[in-house]
Amino acid sequence: MTKYIIQRLIALIITLFLIMTIAFLVVRLMPGSFYDNQDLPETVIQAINAKYHFDKPLIVQYFYFIGNILHWDWGTSIAIQPNVPVFDLLKTRVPISLQINLISLFISIPIGIAAGSLAAIKKNTLVDHFISFMVVIFISVPSFIFATALQYFLAYKGGLFPIIYDAAAAMGTQKAMSMFLPVMALTFSPIARVTRYLRAELAETMNSEFLLLARTKGLTYRQAIMRHGMRNSFLPLANIIIPMFTNILGGSLVIERIFSIPGMGGMMIDSISVSDHSVTIAILMFYSFISLVTMLIVDISYGIIDPRIRVGGRK
Amino acid sequence: MRIYSKEDYRELDEKKFKLVQMDHDIKDEKFEQEPVGFFKDALIRFRQNKASVLAFFIICIVLFFTIFGPYMNSYGFNDQNSDTINMPCKIPLLAPLGICDGGKVIVNRRADLLGDPSYYPEGSILEVFNEREIQGVKMVDVKVDYYKYTGNGDKCFWFGTDYLGRDLWTRLWRGSRVSLLIAFVSVITNVFIGVIYGSIAGYYGGKVDMILMRITEIISALPRIVIITMFIMYFGTGLFAIIMALVVKGWVHTARMVRAQFYRFKQREYVLAARTLGIRDGILIFRHILPNAIGPIITSSMIAIPSAIFAESFLAYIGLGLQAPEPSIGVLLSQGQKVLLHYPNQSIIPGILISVLMISFNLFANGLRDSFDPTLRGA
Amino acid sequence: MNDDKKLLEVKDLAVSFNTFSGSVKAVRSISFDLNRGETLAIVGESGSGKSVTIKSLLGILTGNATIESGEIRYNGDDLLKYSESDFYKIRGKKISLIFQDPFSALNPIMKIGKQITEALILSNNMNKEDSKKRALELMEIVGISEPELRYDQYPFQFSGGMRQRIVIAIALASDPEILICDEPTTALDVTIQAKILKQIKKIKNERDLSVIFITHDLGVVANMADRICVMYAGKIVEYGTCDEIFYEPAHPYTWALLSSMPDLETREKLFSISGTPPNMLFPPKGDAFAQRNKYAMAIDFEEEPPFFKLSETHYAATWLLHEYAPKVEMPEILAKRLARMKEEGGTSE
Repeated sequence: MTKYIIQRLIALIITLFLIMTIAFLVVRLMPGSFYDNQDLPETVIQAINAKYHFDKPLIVQYFYFIGNILHWDWGTSIAIQPNVPVFDLLKTRVPISLQINLISLFISIPIGIAAGSLAAIKKNTLVDHFISFMVVIFISVPSFIFATALQYFLAYKGGLFPIIYDAAAAMGTQKAMSMFLPVMALTFSPIARVTRYLRAELAETMNSEFLLLARTKGLTYRQAIMRHGMRNSFLPLANIIIPMFTNILGGSLVIERIFSIPGMGGMMIDSISVSDHSVTIAILMFYSFISLVTMLIVDISYGIIDPRIRVGGRK
Repeated sequence: MRIYSKEDYRELDEKKFKLVQMDHDIKDEKFEQEPVGFFKDALIRFRQNKASVLAFFIICIVLFFTIFGPYMNSYGFNDQNSDTINMPCKIPLLAPLGICDGGKVIVNRRADLLGDPSYYPEGSILEVFNEREIQGVKMVDVKVDYYKYTGNGDKCFWFGTDYLGRDLWTRLWRGSRVSLLIAFVSVITNVFIGVIYGSIAGYYGGKVDMILMRITEIISALPRIVIITMFIMYFGTGLFAIIMALVVKGWVHTARMVRAQFYRFKQREYVLAARTLGIRDGILIFRHILPNAIGPIITSSMIAIPSAIFAESFLAYIGLGLQAPEPSIGVLLSQGQKVLLHYPNQSIIPGILISVLMISFNLFANGLRDSFDPTLRGA
Repeated sequence: MNDDKKLLEVKDLAVSFNTFSGSVKAVRSISFDLNRGETLAIVGESGSGKSVTIKSLLGILTGNATIESGEIRYNGDDLLKYSESDFYKIRGKKISLIFQDPFSALNPIMKIGKQITEALILSNNMNKEDSKKRALELMEIVGISEPELRYDQYPFQFSGGMRQRIVIAIALASDPEILICDEPTTALDVTIQAKILKQIKKIKNERDLSVIFITHDLGVVANMADRICVMYAGKIVEYGTCDEIFYEPAHPYTWALLSSMPDLETREKLFSISGTPPNMLFPPKGDAFAQRNKYAMAIDFEEEPPFFKLSETHYAATWLLHEYAPKVEMPEILAKRLARMKEEGGTSE
C-alpha cells in the first residue's frame, strides 16, 4: 500500500511538471504578447526584460521559470493588480472560491443521498419517477443557466436575495444570504449526480442475494436495507464525490462571474482577457494541483474502503 | 389438485386414448419468431421509452430550425442597425396573450408628457400605471409598444435584438447551428480517434497496449478546463481551435471503452475459432470484435454531445468563446448575461434552448443505453 | 395420514409474474405437504417453478409476483395472509433458507462472524458475547476449522464450499424447524457437493429438522429424500416416496428425468429430453408435457390429466394410467437400469 501511494505521488509530481511545461510553452509561444497591448517606453521594456528574461532564448527562459517556481516565486501580476506578487493575489482569492465550493459540496451530498435512497426504495413508483425526472433536468441544465435564472427570478424579480455576492460583509446572515444563490446554482448538478449514482447502486444491491439472505435470516426489511443495502452502496460513493469537487470548482468559474464573486474564477477570466500570463499560469497550476490531488485521494480511498483490497493486500 | 375419480370424468372419449406421437420424431421446437437484428431489437426497446422518443422528436425539431431558422426572416445574423438596439420580443401570434407583444415597461415618466406625440408616437402607449407625485411632479410608469415608441412600428423581431440591433432569432439558430456543429464534429472526431486507438491497444495487447495506455493515462490526468484553456489561448478562438480543444481529451474515454471491449471479446471461442481459420487481423477487428462495441460507442457519443455543447458555452462564458461576429449559443448566453436585468429575453431564450437541447440529448442517450443494453434496464 | 404429523401444508398455490410481455404463470396450482422430521425433495428442470414455490413460503417474492390463489398452512396459520411483520417472526426462526449461490449470498464487505451473529442480536435479542459463542459453535457444527480465526475474515477469503457452510450456519443460527435448501450444491464443485450434502443430512438428523430440498438433479436427492415431488411447467406431475419415484415411476416426464441421469454402468448414449419447456406466458391446454412426450395421446392435448392414485403415497398426473389408455411400459433402457439399481440395493452413500 505504501509503495503504491509513493508511486502515485511520483506520478502526480511528474504530471504537474508536465502541465507546468505545457503552460509555459503555451504562454511564451502564444501569438501576440503583453507588449502588443500597450505603448511602453523602451526603458520599461528593458526593465521588464531584465526581470523576466523575455529576450533570452526559450530554453533559458524555461529554466528561469522553473527555478522561480521551485523558489515559490510565481511571478508578479502585470495587469490585474500591477506589481502584486501572484501568490499574494491567489491567497486572497482562493479562500473565497473554496468556501463557496466546499459549502456546495457538503450541502449536496446529504440531499443527494436522501433522494437517491428514496428513489431506490420506492423504485418504479411516482416518487421515483419524479426524482428521476428532476435528476435528468439537474444534470442536463448547465449550472450557469440555473444561476442566471435564479438571479433573475429570485433575486431581481422576487427580491428575496441580493443580486450579487456581498464580498465586504462580515460572516453572518447578510453574507449567507448573498452566498445562497451561487451555492444553490452549484449544488444542482452534484445533487443529481449523487442521486443517480446512489439510486442505481442501491437498486442493484437491493436485488442482491445477500439482501435476500439478510431477510430470510430474520432481519426486517428496513434492517436489511439499512445494514446491508445502504452500507454496501455508500462505500463506493466516495469515489464519485471526491472527483465531483473538481467539477464544482470548474463550474464555479462561471458562477463566480455571474454573481461577481471575487474568487479564482473571475480572476482567471480577467487574466486571460488582459494577457496577464503569470496569473493565468498560477491559476491553471492551482486547478491542476487540486484535480490531481483529488484523483490521488480516489485511488487511495479504493484501497481503504474496500476490505477486498485492504485485507487482501492486492493492488 | 384433482385426484381422479370415475364420476368426474364420465364423458371421456375412448378414441382419444391412442398414442399419437409414437412415430413422431420429436424435435426441438422451431424458432417461430422472425430473426430480430441488433438494431431492430434496439429500436423495438427504444420505442417503448416514451421520454426518449419525445426527446428524439424535440432534437429533430431543433435541428430543423437550426437548418432553416436563419432563412425564415429577412435579417442576416450580422445585420447591425443602430435604430433597433435591444428590442424586446415581438411575435404577433402570441401578442394577444400579453407576452412577446413588443411591449416594454419604462419607469419614472412625467405624466404631462404622455400626450406629446414627439415623446410617445401615436398608439405607442399600451398601459399607464403606478401614478404618483414626486416633488410636485406627477410621475407614472408606462408600458409602451417599444417598436412604435422607437419608430420601428413596421418591423418585427420575433426574439428581439441585441446591443448592436441584430436580429436574435436569426442569431439564435445560427448560433445553435454553430454549437451543434462544434459538438457533432468534435464527438465524431473523438469516436474516430478513440476507436482506432482503442482497437490497436486492445487487439495487440502486450507492450503496445502498455505504451498506448500510459499515454492516455497522462492525458486523462490533465484537468479538462486547464487543457482546453491553454489550447485556446494558444490557437485562438476559431471554430477549428475550439473543436480541437474538445478533442484533446475527449477521445480517451472512447479509446478505453473500445479497448475494454476488445479485452472482453478477443479471448472468446468464436474469435479464436476465426483466428484458427486464418482470418486476417483487419477482418477479425472490424467484423468480429468491434461490432460488440457499437452499442456502448453510440451511447457514449450521444452523452458526449450535450457535454460538448456545455463545454462550448462554458468557454464563451470565460471569455474564450467564438470570435465575433459568429454567434454560438454560448456567445449569445454570455452576451445576454451582461444585460440580464434589463433585457432578460436575451439570455432567457438561448438559456431555454440550451436546456432543452441538453435535456433532450441526455434523455435520448438514456433511451439508447437502455435499448442497447437490456441488462441495464430500470437500473 | 395423521394431521398433526403435517408441519407445513401447501394447497392449490398459484403464482404469476407480471412482465413486459404479459403474465407468466410460474406456479399453477400445486399442493404438497411436509411432515415433521422428513425430507421432501422437489425436483424439476430450470423454470419449472421450484424456486418460486419456496419464495412464496418465505414471503420473499419479488414485487411483480402475484399469488393468485391457494394457502400455505403452517402451525394453523395461512402464511399467504401474513404481513411483512408477521413473516419477520418466522423467517430464520421457524423457516430458514439455504441459497443456491454461496458466492453472491454473503455480503462481500461484512465480516463472516457479523453476518452470522447479526440475526441473533437483532431479532433474538442475544447479547454480543453469547451470540459470538453461538456463532463459533455453529461454525464448528458446519465443519469450519479454526472458527476463531475465520470469524473475523471476509467472504472473499473463503472458498465456495466454505461459504456455503457459512450460509448453512446462518440458516441454522436461530434453530429453525424447517430448512429449505434451494439447490444448495449446484454452484459448487462436484467434490464439494457430496460433503455439503452429507453435512446437511447429518445436521438434519441431529436436530430433527424438516427439510425441503429443491434440485434439478435426481441423483442428489436419491439418498437424502424421504419423499419426492416432480415438477414440470409449474405443476407437480408425480409425487411419492423416494423408492416409489425411483423404482416405480409412472409419469413419462419422470421416466425421461430418470433416463437422463448419468451413471457409470449405462453404456448407451445418455438420454436427453427433446423439445423445450412450454412458454409459461401461454401455458398449453391439457398436459404441459404432451408436446415433448413420446407417449402423448390425443386427450393429452385437450384435457388436463388429474392425479391417479398408485398407492397410499404415490400419485401421478398422466392419462396413461386411465383404464382406456393403452398399456405402456416405461422405456426398456430405463427398466433395465432401474432393475440394476434395485439389485445393488438402492443408492449407496
